[in-house]
Amino acid sequence: MTTREEFLSRIRAEMLKTGGLFPASPAPRPSDPRAVAETLRRQLAEHWPGALERFRREFERVGGVLYRAASLEDVPRVVAGIAREREARRLVAWHPSALGGDLGPALAARGLEPLAMPPGEVGDAHERGRLRQAIADAEIGLTGVDLAIAETGTLVLRSGPGRPRSTSLLPPYHVAVFDRTALIESLSQVGVLLELWHRDELETAAVISFITGPSRTADIELTLTRGVHGPKEVHAIFVEREIRG
Amino acid sequence: MTAPVRASLMVTCLGDMLFPEVGVSMVRLLRRLGVAVDFPRGQTCCGLPLFNSGYQAHAARVAARTVEIFKESEHVVVPSGSCAWMVKHEYPGLLRASALREAAARLAGRTYELSQFLVRVLGTTEFQSAVGGRVTYHDSCHLLRGLHESESPRTILRRLKGAEFVELPGADECCGFGGSFAVRLPEVSSGILDKKLENVAATGASCLVACDAGCLMQMGGGLSRRRSPVRTLHLAELLDGSRT
Amino acid sequence: MSEGDLSVPFRRRAGSAMKDAQLQEALTIATTKFIGLRREAFEEFPDGETLRDQAREIKEATLQSLDRYLEQLIDNIERRGGRVHYATTPEEARAVVLDIARRTGARMAVKSKSMASEEIHLNEALEAAGVTPVETDLGEYIIQLAHERPSHIIAPAIHKTKEQVADLFAKELKREVAADPEVLTRIARVELREKFLTADLGITGANFAVADTGTVVLVTNEGNGRMVTALPRVHVAVMGVEKIVPSMTDLMVFLAILAKSATGQKFSVYTTLVQGPRRAGELEGPEEFHLVLLDNGRIRQLAGPLRESLSCLRCGACLNVCPVYRQIGGHAYGYTYPGPIGILLTAMLNGPESVKDLAHASSLCGACVDACPVRIDIPRMLIELRREVDEKKIAPWTERVVFRALATLLLSRHLYRWSGPIARLLQRPFARAGVIRHLPFFFGDWTRTRDLPAVAPRTFRERWDGMERGS
Repeated sequence: MTTREEFLSRIRAEMLKTGGLFPASPAPRPSDPRAVAETLRRQLAEHWPGALERFRREFERVGGVLYRAASLEDVPRVVAGIAREREARRLVAWHPSALGGDLGPALAARGLEPLAMPPGEVGDAHERGRLRQAIADAEIGLTGVDLAIAETGTLVLRSGPGRPRSTSLLPPYHVAVFDRTALIESLSQVGVLLELWHRDELETAAVISFITGPSRTADIELTLTRGVHGPKEVHAIFVEREIRG
Repeated sequence: MTAPVRASLMVTCLGDMLFPEVGVSMVRLLRRLGVAVDFPRGQTCCGLPLFNSGYQAHAARVAARTVEIFKESEHVVVPSGSCAWMVKHEYPGLLRASALREAAARLAGRTYELSQFLVRVLGTTEFQSAVGGRVTYHDSCHLLRGLHESESPRTILRRLKGAEFVELPGADECCGFGGSFAVRLPEVSSGILDKKLENVAATGASCLVACDAGCLMQMGGGLSRRRSPVRTLHLAELLDGSRT
Repeated sequence: MSEGDLSVPFRRRAGSAMKDAQLQEALTIATTKFIGLRREAFEEFPDGETLRDQAREIKEATLQSLDRYLEQLIDNIERRGGRVHYATTPEEARAVVLDIARRTGARMAVKSKSMASEEIHLNEALEAAGVTPVETDLGEYIIQLAHERPSHIIAPAIHKTKEQVADLFAKELKREVAADPEVLTRIARVELREKFLTADLGITGANFAVADTGTVVLVTNEGNGRMVTALPRVHVAVMGVEKIVPSMTDLMVFLAILAKSATGQKFSVYTTLVQGPRRAGELEGPEEFHLVLLDNGRIRQLAGPLRESLSCLRCGACLNVCPVYRQIGGHAYGYTYPGPIGILLTAMLNGPESVKDLAHASSLCGACVDACPVRIDIPRMLIELRREVDEKKIAPWTERVVFRALATLLLSRHLYRWSGPIARLLQRPFARAGVIRHLPFFFGDWTRTRDLPAVAPRTFRERWDGMERGS
């Protein structure tokens, strides 16, 4: 079996034989992503209504539905409305520490069957299996959002304790809650943030998921269908009052 | 009084053998515009058929010969996008190791496809059409993508007097000629041609114009086999009012 | 016939494809649609051309320091708890995956779409080793049921009608199935959901790997990429070594143009950045993450004539605009990768012998370069391959003789001058009123479907004397 050294030596040997096709450099990277990110944050603190409007347009274009709520406390009302229209009751949600608050009681009061994800890992295999089945049986997955990209209508979710990947993946209806601090305008700005997150050795997300609308395919005669493996609907609730104060 | 523009005609092998009227029309057309036209004898072919099939060494020898033959020319005008492309884009590379390297670069800078020459060098864009009725235009691949010339022919066609120009749907799609491709994969070549001719029929044009003998052979050959009333003309013939 | 049977000559495979009326219809509809979608996406995207130039440059810059970026990638992946394996050949790549499967006791593997895994023929090896591979991309699932190979890089089942898909599902599930894409999609969702939840092993490809951070990137639309990397205990990604990009900043350049080029979407539905196995404290995620770096002919091209094809993003845009692909579809090419870039990749993976006919399956029209997000000059490399085929005497000697004779003719003023009168003589039995409708031998390949103009009664040079003085 080829070793690392053998592999790299072969590459080096071939590289020595050529100067390349033309002078070329990678994309210029921000030398101080923290400073750039801070500037972006300040700009967006002022321009967020425009970014939100653009996000709405792109999000709807890819089949998402956007709602507004005054505060996090108002979110259960909106979620219950979505659930009622679809005759859905079983809901799984990120752990309150990840979501920004415990919406379980309010959701239950409105006739839903909420289940919060545990805050960390679950050692017992049987319990894990039970949880997985519950998530697979759920109709609604309620999550927060790390970024909402206006350019493309994309939601960015990092995985982590209390925020398992399947919450936004297995249930057929994904409902994501965000506030103005998640808004960001363009893909290149997202690049700056990704650079920043990784500079911190604290960037520990095992997966960063970019979600742009419901799951879809056109593999059969190029006819578009939704909800192939992932959710068939994506709903986003914009919360006016910042979730974490 | 300014000295007349001098241009040498590179008539191309297909033009010479199969479409001499195109060369004749070009000469008449250019002379009417005050261009002094000459025809360097001894010219044969630009070498593209050899080059495209991978016979680079042969192509380089033909290129060298062509560079010699045209070395006195001020301008070289070619009724073919593919041949003009060959000279402008490939000759310098083919001859980069030879003594003719500079001459090849010079020739590349002085060679023009016909519509390029008319519009960009002579600045002449208004012409009387040799035929009436509706006319449509096919972009040959080397002219369009090799020489980035979709505008010069259209500038002329849009201002054409005496005929109505309509855009061909899929004008930028290949006609299926591709040189030896047409006989190496004739079924595929014909399938591509069928699609092109369906688009031509949809325009209702009575005349199909192109700037490349290969394309005209392919499309004309297909129309003729179908006994279609649509005729094919080279741009030079379309603009040569002294045609009948 | 829908498979590329290499024992049948390419020309005949192409001919069969052309006679397949239903394939023809599917190809026309699909490629026309893709072309329109891509055009609209770029029309609305004024930065598109600049980003394409930049993407092309990033790919070249990466190759110029490939060893350094690779080392960075490896170190970062290992730092995050992943493992990297090195496969020079398809056999080695298969062996790595089988070894992981055996060691972890896997009996069923769910696969997200991966052309690299097709390239190394992984599925057959898994089955032989008692591990059931389940393709989960809907198009791949369909062709797996049909025991076929993909016919398009991004829409593998483009050649199938919904009726054919319904029949396949009906046979598999042993019940009646409606020929309705919605119904069929729902069936696939239910069938495959169960597989996702119980699979031991998830196998994917990778669209990109970011050296600076050790991130492997999957670009998908269905959600199977996310499932495969979240639910099974072990995740293995098989990736060609050229998919590396230096940084996250570079990654965003490619992400901005990839989906637009492939399907006309601004962004694919799911872009998944995988950064190793699950972290402590996470409920889900694989315990093990493996990246298999694949050579399989790529490394040799760093200094080879096909270097530029290492920039390919596997978007399929060149297939959609290629007049040849649009006529014959993917299977007729006979290898894993069809279309314009497919010919180059086939030569890269299998050597010049494999493309002695395929190198000529092109009219050199250049539509592929226009569509390629990284502006790969495919026609230039096709001509290079043709040259290699000639120089290595892979082309038949009869052809080489003909072209040598042509060169001799074109180099001699006298021979050329006589070729006109001789041609006129030879064509006499065939020419009527300046038109030839039938020619013998291989010339008949032209005249079967097209007329040919006869050599003119006087060639241009013969007429020039009369014109010299400018009458």
